Amino acid sequence: MSEENRLMLRISDVSMKFRMEEDRSASLKETIVNLFRGKLKMKEFFALKHVSFDVYKGEVIGIIGRNGAGKSTILKIISGIMKPTEGNVVRNGNIVPMLELGSGFDMDLSGRENIFLNGAILGYDKEFLHAKYDEILAFSELNDFIEMPLRNYSSGMIMRLAFSIATVVEPEILIVDEILAVGDEKFQQKSYERMMELMGGGTTVLFVSHDMNQIRRMCNRVVWLDGGTVRLSGPTEEVCSQYKL
Amino acid sequence: MTQINLKKTEKYIWLGFDGLLVLFFGGDIQNLISGRLFGIPSIFTALIVAAILGILLYLWIRHMRNCQENGKKSVGLRFLETVHKYRFLIEQLVSRDFKIKYKRSVLGVFWSFLNPLLMMSVQYVVFSYLLNVRGDVPHYAVYLLCGIVIWSGFNDCVSQAMRSIIGNAPLITKVYVPKYIYPMTKVFSAFVNVLLSMIPLLLLTIVYGLFQTPVLMLTNAVLLLPFGLLMLLVFCMGMGFLLSSLMVFFHDVEFLWSVVSSIWMYATPIIYSLSMFEDKGADWFIKLEQANPMYHYIQFIRTVILEGTCPEPLEFLFCAGFAVIMFFVGFLVFKKTEDRFILYL
Repeated sequence: MSEENRLMLRISDVSMKFRMEEDRSASLKETIVNLFRGKLKMKEFFALKHVSFDVYKGEVIGIIGRNGAGKSTILKIISGIMKPTEGNVVRNGNIVPMLELGSGFDMDLSGRENIFLNGAILGYDKEFLHAKYDEILAFSELNDFIEMPLRNYSSGMIMRLAFSIATVVEPEILIVDEILAVGDEKFQQKSYERMMELMGGGTTVLFVSHDMNQIRRMCNRVVWLDGGTVRLSGPTEEVCSQYKL
Repeated sequence: MTQINLKKTEKYIWLGFDGLLVLFFGGDIQNLISGRLFGIPSIFTALIVAAILGILLYLWIRHMRNCQENGKKSVGLRFLETVHKYRFLIEQLVSRDFKIKYKRSVLGVFWSFLNPLLMMSVQYVVFSYLLNVRGDVPHYAVYLLCGIVIWSGFNDCVSQAMRSIIGNAPLITKVYVPKYIYPMTKVFSAFVNVLLSMIPLLLLTIVYGLFQTPVLMLTNAVLLLPFGLLMLLVFCMGMGFLLSSLMVFFHDVEFLWSVVSSIWMYATPIIYSLSMFEDKGADWFIKLEQANPMYHYIQFIRTVILEGTCPEPLEFLFCAGFAVIMFFVGFLVFKKTEDRFILYL
C-alpha cells in the first residue's frame, strides 16, 4: 500500500450504549435504597449503532447530522476519551483533539506557564514546546501580557492563547468540533487561515460542522449520521445534495 | 506506541536499587554487624535478601527486554512507557499544584516548614500541660512532630488525590490522557510537602536534642528514613486510586472520608503512646494497632529518629506489605472502573 492512501483510522462496527437511570442516584444511600426496592431501572439508549468507516491519510472528512445524531460521541470515541460498548477503533497516528479551547488552563498561572501546561496536556513534549514557544507567543499577539496570570486576561486574549497552542502542532489526525474562529475580526481571519493551512497540509482531519458551505469547501468526503447510524457516506457533493434537515 | 530506551531506564532502576541498598546498610550498620537473625549474623541475612531482590529485579528487566524485542506486551513495560511518554505532563501538573498552593501567600513555601511546627507547638502545650496525655514519653515534642508530619502528609495526599478525577472532569471529558495520571500527580505534589516538612523535623530533633539529658542525637539510622517515606508514598497512592475512583460514582465518599479519617487519626498513636495502654492492661488495643498501617509508618519514623536504631525486620515487612497490598487493591479498582468514569462525570 502506498503512503498516499495509508489507512489512518478504521472505525469498525462501533456502538455506544448509554444508560439513562430514571432518577439518577448520585449518592450511596439512594443507590442502596433503590437496589432494595428493585427500583434501579434503567432506560438504555444507543447513541451510536454499528457505525463503520475508514479514514485515509490526507483526507478531510466532514461529519454532518442533526443535533443528537451522535457526532460528538463518535469524535470522543475516536480520540479515545470514551470506550465504545461494542466494536473498536484502530488508530495509526497521533490524534490532537480541538474540541473545546482552553479547557486545560489554570487561571492562577501566567500565560507562559499555561503554554507549557496546556501543551503537555495535549501531548506535546518539552523540547517541542521550547522550540515553538516564540511562534506560539507571536501568533497569540499577547506580547508582554504573557507573564501575567490568566485571571487578568480578557476572554478574547484567553481564546487567542488557546488557539495558538492548539494549532502549533502538525498532528497526523486533527479532530475539530466546529471551525474555530476566535477573537476580533482580524484574529478571526488569521485563525481561519491557520485552520485552512493545517487542513491543506497533509493532515488528516475529522471535522464536524453545521455550516454546509464550509463542508462543501473543505471536505473530500462526508459521513452523514442520523440517529446513531451512518445514513450515507461518500464524496462531498453526493452526500450534501441529498442532505436536508 | 513510542519505544523507550530500556538501556537508560535500566540504569536508573539499578541506580535506585543500589542507592536503597547503600542507605539500608549505612543506616543499620551496627545492628547488622552485632545482631543475629534466624540464627546467623544479620549481615548475611541482609545480603541474602538483597541478592534475592537483585536477581528478581534482573529477571524482571530481562523479561521486559524480551517483550520489547518481540513486540509483546508486559504490564511493567507498558507502565514504564506511559510514564515515559507522559513524564512532561506529570512534571507540569506537579509543578502547577505546587506553584498554585503558595501563589498568593507572602511567606510562600515557608508555610511548608512553619505549618507542622506551629501545629506541634499548639498540640504540645495542650497535651503536655493542659491534658497531660504525654505520660512518660521522652522527647515529647519530637515524638509529636513525627506523628503530625506523617499523618497530615498522608491525609493531605489522600484528600487531594480523592478529588483529582472529579476536579479534572473538564479535561477528562475532552482530552485523552491515561486517567491514573491525575491521582498520581496529586499524590506526588502533596508528597513534596511531606519531604519539605522533614527539614523542620530534623532541625527540631537536632536543636531540641541538644538541651536534653542525655543528649538526643541523630544517628546513621536516619538514612533509613527514605524507606519509610517511600512506603508511605506507595500506600498513599493506593488509597488515592481507590478513593478517587469511588468518588466518581458516589460523592458521599468525600463526607464519609472526613469522618473516617478523623476516627483513624484518633485511633493512631499520634498524640498518645501505646505504653499508656500497656499500663492500663488494654493489650487488645495494642494488638489492634498492628492492623493499622499508619501506626507502622509513624512508628518506623519514630524508631529511626528518636531511638536512632533500625526498626525490627518485621516492621519493614509490615510497612512494605501494607503499601504493596493497598497499591494493588487501589490500582485494580481504578482500572476496573476507569472506563465508566466518563459516563458519570
